[in-house]
Amino acid sequence: MKPWRSVTWTTLLAAAVLMPWSPGTAVAADIIKFGISTPLSGPAAPWGIPHKNATELIFDEINSQGGLEIGGKKYKLEVVAYDHKYVIAEGVATVNRLIAKDGVKYISVLGGAVVKANEEPVNENGVLNLPLAYAEGLVSPKNPLTFHSFPSPPETTTFWKWIKEHHPQIKRVATISPNDDTGWWSIKVETTFVEKLGYQIAGKEFFERSMTDFNPVLLRILAQKPDIISVLASPAGSVGLIIKQARELGFKGRFIHIGQVDTSVVANIAGKANVEGTWVHGYVQTPLPEKVKSWQARYTKKYGEWNATSIDFTNPAFAFVAAVKKAQSLDPKKIGEAMRTVEFDNLWGKAHFGGKDYYGVGNQIIYPMPFSEVKDGVATLVVQLSPPHN
Amino acid sequence: MTPDLLIQSTIIGLSIGSIYILMALGLTLMFGMMHIINFAHGAIYMLGAFAIYYIFSQWGAPYFAAFVLAMLLLGTFGYLVERSIYRAVKGGIEPTLVALLALTTFLQAAGYPVFGQLDKHVPPVFHGTRNVLGVMISVERLMIIPMAGALVVGLNLFINKTKMGAAMRAIEQDKEAAALQGVNVHVVNGLAFAIGFALAAASGALMAPIFKLDPMMGEQPLLKAFIIIILGGLGSIPGAILGGLMLGLIDSIVATALGAEPAFLLSFVFIILLLLFKPTGLFGYAPP
Repeated sequence: MKPWRSVTWTTLLAAAVLMPWSPGTAVAADIIKFGISTPLSGPAAPWGIPHKNATELIFDEINSQGGLEIGGKKYKLEVVAYDHKYVIAEGVATVNRLIAKDGVKYISVLGGAVVKANEEPVNENGVLNLPLAYAEGLVSPKNPLTFHSFPSPPETTTFWKWIKEHHPQIKRVATISPNDDTGWWSIKVETTFVEKLGYQIAGKEFFERSMTDFNPVLLRILAQKPDIISVLASPAGSVGLIIKQARELGFKGRFIHIGQVDTSVVANIAGKANVEGTWVHGYVQTPLPEKVKSWQARYTKKYGEWNATSIDFTNPAFAFVAAVKKAQSLDPKKIGEAMRTVEFDNLWGKAHFGGKDYYGVGNQIIYPMPFSEVKDGVATLVVQLSPPHN
Repeated sequence: MTPDLLIQSTIIGLSIGSIYILMALGLTLMFGMMHIINFAHGAIYMLGAFAIYYIFSQWGAPYFAAFVLAMLLLGTFGYLVERSIYRAVKGGIEPTLVALLALTTFLQAAGYPVFGQLDKHVPPVFHGTRNVLGVMISVERLMIIPMAGALVVGLNLFINKTKMGAAMRAIEQDKEAAALQGVNVHVVNGLAFAIGFALAAASGALMAPIFKLDPMMGEQPLLKAFIIIILGGLGSIPGAILGGLMLGLIDSIVATALGAEPAFLLSFVFIILLLLFKPTGLFGYAPP
């Protein structure tokens, strides 16, 4: 064998042996993994898919500009996403996998019941969590690194004041919600608030998330003659069936969802005419501010199809990036400290984490919340309101 | 509960019960002949609904043609499952159960990549509402009752008035004796699989325009069908019919009067009490 051949082979062999250790470690160190546990299939997928997509798009845009700079070093952002199907056991399994197997220190989990079930692993492992979820006690001093990144019922119920002022003929409110942490807390907060405003509670019903035949539940509710039915915390698929079946049973009043729901998915199931007049928080199709229009164009370019739910589901990514920039650290605790003081732009304006006077800890996102009404089949922005607490 | 509410919930209960009956009939038919519990029944219900989604909603075929086609397609699938699984394991009950469980898991898991992650919806076939005895009921719901009723009558006529039906009854009573009398057990078993699958598909096809579609949609109806065949007596067709109607009415009337959870609990309490006094179910009989 000629000497140059021998040198070449030796070099290649050495490279092959060393490759898994040296350059690989260098590359891995430059990546920030951000975990997402969300429903990517099933009735709650209309929430989960834009949750994942919105985070990925924001991270892609930062990566295309060279990445996120921390202490003079550029890091690429990477999403590690798992489908929990809005099943608690799957949610626990996916979060454990993110923490233990993927080594993720920052996560965003969707679904109140799932986030509650994951409190222990998140707190014990010192993981920073930016959930999109409703559950009692989620925003609390006992969850110091959990920063709720979507307006919750204590914030969104403020819309009822607007209804009281603009639609005084509405007197009797019925509620229907999933039979879990999310539903119980949402209904508790909403009914307490509307009762204080002078509304009568005409019915309060819970349903299993697997339920498809709402007729018996609706018959109970409709017997109490409500003017409006709140479907707070219910996923789009269930809301569609509730509206369709309530209309078939003769209900003529309005529906309201001050959680978040994609009214186009609802209309596909319930029928466009049946959804008319529905009030909804966090889902706007028109008119869109310039900033949201730009987001719409970028989202549509990447995913081929626009999803308005993605607008408010950008919050975890925007908040995370802003806090990391401020903290100039990858330590979840330091990022958490920065999160409490950082002010950042989301797609609706200036946002920050606050609500200490209500929750006892300033870990709830605060920004001017959008509320719409379905008019001619389109979710039309009617008002933007700030939460009652700051 | 007001009289109006009672009438409304009774009619809705009959409609729900009709679907339960169709689901339970296929299950009980297969159990009666082969002593197997078809765990794939819920998945076939789901496929029946998706068949309607594609054939009727996406490709524009008339609903009734799509309905018949869905039953034929999934009935053929049932026949093939009998040939490839049940016959391959020589009618072994345990291997068949495990294989059907595996088939269910496969069909549900394959559902998401094949049908998509978002719920699907089939546009209504029957529009509007009708005033029945002074209460409003959607025509969609009302139409389930005669359509399911026609299938039940058809199945009864087939089993009681045809040669093939007589062969099925003979196998149910004594497989070996039936074979000695010249009944081709394989063919008749294949037909039972085909009918069982077709009935599950019919249930899914009937419900498709009323509910939303997702790959896991068959789980609840399967659970209900299990409850019904235990309530009615394993292998008993009259038992499945009566059990389906009873459960449909409990689900609707009790849920309307007391709420969905008490109704769910009550159906189990009812079965436990019944089985305490009649362990074979309403129309079941103890094996000799």
